[in-house]
Amino acid sequence: MAHSSRDTVLPIPIFLSGGKHFIFSVAHASFLRAEYRIAGVLTGTLPQSPQQNVFLGLPLQLMAEEARLLVRRGVCFVVDDAAAHREGLRRLCGPDGEEERLQWLATLREMGLDAARARDAVSKSRMERALGKMETGRREQALRSLAARQQAETRQATPSEADSEDTLFPAYEQATPSPPSAPKPMSVSDDPNPLGVTPTTSHPPLPLPFPDDTATLPPAPPSYPLFAYLHSHPGSNYFSSPGLRFGCQYLVYPGDPLRFHSHFLAVGYDWDEEFDLLSLIGGGRLGTGVKKGFLIGGTEPGKAEEFAGHGDGEEGVRCFCIEWGGM
Amino acid sequence: MASIIAESTTQTPRAPRPQRPNYAKLHAKPLPLETYPLPAFLPQNPLSILRIAYALISSYISNSSSHPAPHTHRAYYSAATRSVHVTDDISVRALWESGFFGKGSLSRSEPEWLEREKKRLGLVRDKAGETSAEITRKRREERREGKRERARLEREELEAQLRKEGKLTATESPLVTEQEHQIAASAGDAASDATFDGRSATIIDPLAAKEAEYAILQNQEHLQLIPYEAFFLSYALGILDVYDPASGQRLGSRDLLKLFRHTSVFPPLPANRAPPVDDPFILNYVVYHHFRSLGWVVRPGVKFSVDLLLYNRGPVFSHAEFAVLVVPDYSSGLWRSDERLQKIATTKKKEEWWWLHAANRVQGQVKKTLVLAYVEVPPPEEAHAASEDIGALLKRYRVKEVIIRRWTANRNR
Repeated sequence: MAHSSRDTVLPIPIFLSGGKHFIFSVAHASFLRAEYRIAGVLTGTLPQSPQQNVFLGLPLQLMAEEARLLVRRGVCFVVDDAAAHREGLRRLCGPDGEEERLQWLATLREMGLDAARARDAVSKSRMERALGKMETGRREQALRSLAARQQAETRQATPSEADSEDTLFPAYEQATPSPPSAPKPMSVSDDPNPLGVTPTTSHPPLPLPFPDDTATLPPAPPSYPLFAYLHSHPGSNYFSSPGLRFGCQYLVYPGDPLRFHSHFLAVGYDWDEEFDLLSLIGGGRLGTGVKKGFLIGGTEPGKAEEFAGHGDGEEGVRCFCIEWGGM
Repeated sequence: MASIIAESTTQTPRAPRPQRPNYAKLHAKPLPLETYPLPAFLPQNPLSILRIAYALISSYISNSSSHPAPHTHRAYYSAATRSVHVTDDISVRALWESGFFGKGSLSRSEPEWLEREKKRLGLVRDKAGETSAEITRKRREERREGKRERARLEREELEAQLRKEGKLTATESPLVTEQEHQIAASAGDAASDATFDGRSATIIDPLAAKEAEYAILQNQEHLQLIPYEAFFLSYALGILDVYDPASGQRLGSRDLLKLFRHTSVFPPLPANRAPPVDDPFILNYVVYHHFRSLGWVVRPGVKFSVDLLLYNRGPVFSHAEFAVLVVPDYSSGLWRSDERLQKIATTKKKEEWWWLHAANRVQGQVKKTLVLAYVEVPPPEEAHAASEDIGALLKRYRVKEVIIRRWTANRNR
C-alpha cells in the first residue's frame, strides 16, 4: 500500500456538503479502504466529459452509515464544508489573515511563474526539435540538388527541373538565409509573465479544519445496526456498498469489492417492523437469481439492552438469509 | 455449420410430442357467462325495435329453454384460509375454463389433482397428456441434473488448474471425489423414491385395485378463490353465491364486501369498526376489476413478488406479459385540501428506491414488464358517505397505470 497508516494523520476530515459525506484525498480514501474496510463510492467526473458514469474519480462519497461508523471509531470527524469555507475565507480576508493572505498570493504567483517556465521550456524544446529536423532536411535536399545538377550537366537536362527542385523550400531559404551550424539557443528570460493559476484545492489556502469535540455523531438510517454488525462484528468483517443497483440496502462483500463478488443483498429491519411478504419473496428471488443470499437483519430487543452502551447498536443483531427454492 | 445441425438432428430422433388439449376450444369463453345476441335492429323497419323489446322483456320475465338463466355457482367462505372455496366439480371446471378463476388447493394452479392421482395409480392407460405439474417436475429434474453436471465440470477445471500450478499432486483429487460422493448419495435417494413408488404400485395393482379406486379417488381437491376474485364473480358478474359455512346463510354483496374488507388486515377488524379507506382488499379489488373490465385475465402474482399478473388470453396460452404492483396514491386534490388530511397522507408508509429496483429487477429476470397501478384513494369522509352503495364507493377510486422499464443508454441503442 502506497499510503500506510504511518503517513496518515488521524482523525481524517470528512466533508459534509449538501447532506452528503465526501473524502477529497487519495491518501485518505486508500487508507480507509485498506485499514477500515470502507470502500465508499467514487463520484467525480472529468469536467470534459460530465456524462461519464464509469471510471469515476475523487471525491469519494461515503454513506451516512460509513461516516457514522468512522466518527464513532474516532478515525474521522465531520466538517461542515460550507461553514468551514465561509469561516476560513472570512478570517483570510480580515486583518488577522493579512500576512497569510499575502503569503498565499506570493505562493500563487510562484506557481504561476513555475507554470510559465514550464510552458516556455516545452515550446523551446519543440522549436529545437523542429529546427533540427529542418536542418537535416536541408542537408539532404542540398545533396540531392547537387546530384541533380551533376546529372543535368551530363545529360543536358532542362533547367526547369533543377530549378523546381531547388525551390522546394523557398520559405525556409528566405527565413534562414545563412545556414546555422548549430541551433541558436532560445533566449529565455529569467522572469516570464506569471500565468494566472486557479487553485483547485481549498486547503491551502484555508487552514485544515481541526476536530471539534462537541460534534455529535452523524445521523444514520434505522438500518445502521445491521451495517455496523456486518462491518465489524467479530467474525463478520464484511465490506458493504450501497445496494441500489441490486434492489437492496447494502451489497455485502467478503473482501475488497475489487477482488470479490458480493455474497449478500442485505436489508435492515426493525425487530418488530411489519413488512410486506412480497418484499421477502422478491428479495429471495432476486438474490438467488444472481447467486447471492438475501439477508435481512435487525436488533433483537432483549439483546440490545444486554449490551447497552458497549457497542454502537451492532450488538444483538441477528441475521437471516433467505433463498428462493422454486427455481 | 449446416453439417453439424444435420448431424444433431439425425442423432437424436425426437419423441413425438403428446397431443395437447385443444385449449382454444376449451377456453373459448373469456368469462363464465352465456351471452345471446339480440334480434337485429333494422332502421328501415322501425317495428324491429319491438322485437328487441320483446326479447329483453321475455328474458327478464322468464328464460326460454334455448336461453337458460346463467348458472350460479355455490361457494363458501373459509375463515381459516381467508379464501372462498368451490367444491362442486362442474363449478370448478366452469370457473377455471372460462376466465381462469381460482387455483386448485392441491395443484400449482389448474385443479388437476384427480387426473394426476389417476395416472399415478395406473387407472388411466393413455400416456398422452401430461399434466402441467408433471411437466414442471420433469423440467426441474432436468435442470437440477444440468446444474450438477456444470458444477462437476467447474470443479474439474479448478482441479486441473491447481494441478498445473503444482498445488495438487497428480493422484489426489479431493474436489471431484467429494462431488461424486454427492452424486452417489443423490442417486441413492432417487433409488429409494423409486422403491417407494413401486411398493405403492404393488399394493394397488392386485385384487384391491377396485376397492382402492373407490376409497381413494374421491376428489379431495377444491377450488380456492382469492377474496377479490370471489367478489368479482359475485358482485360484478352475479354468478357466484357465497355462503357462510357457520350459519348457512347466503352472503349478499354488501355483507361480502364488509367481510372481505374487515378480514384483509391482520388482526381482522371488529365488526363495528369501519374499515380504512385504503385496506388491501379494496385496493386490490379496484385494480382487479379495472383490468378484468379491459379484458385481461388477471391472476395473483405472489410468486413473482407482485400483486397481480396480467395474461393476454390465459395462463395456458402464454406467459403473463405484465406484472402489476398496486400502489395507493394520496395525492388527489381532496387530500391536499385539508390540513388534517394532508397530515394523514404524509404518515402513510412510503417505499424506498431500492424497493422499486428490487421489484423491477425481479420482473427483468422473468421477462415481464412492471406496471405500477396507482389507485387514487378518496378521503375517508367521502368514502364513508358512499359506503352503502357499492357502485358509488368503487367510483371514488381511480386507477392510473405507469409502466416502468430499466433503460440504459449504453445497452438500448
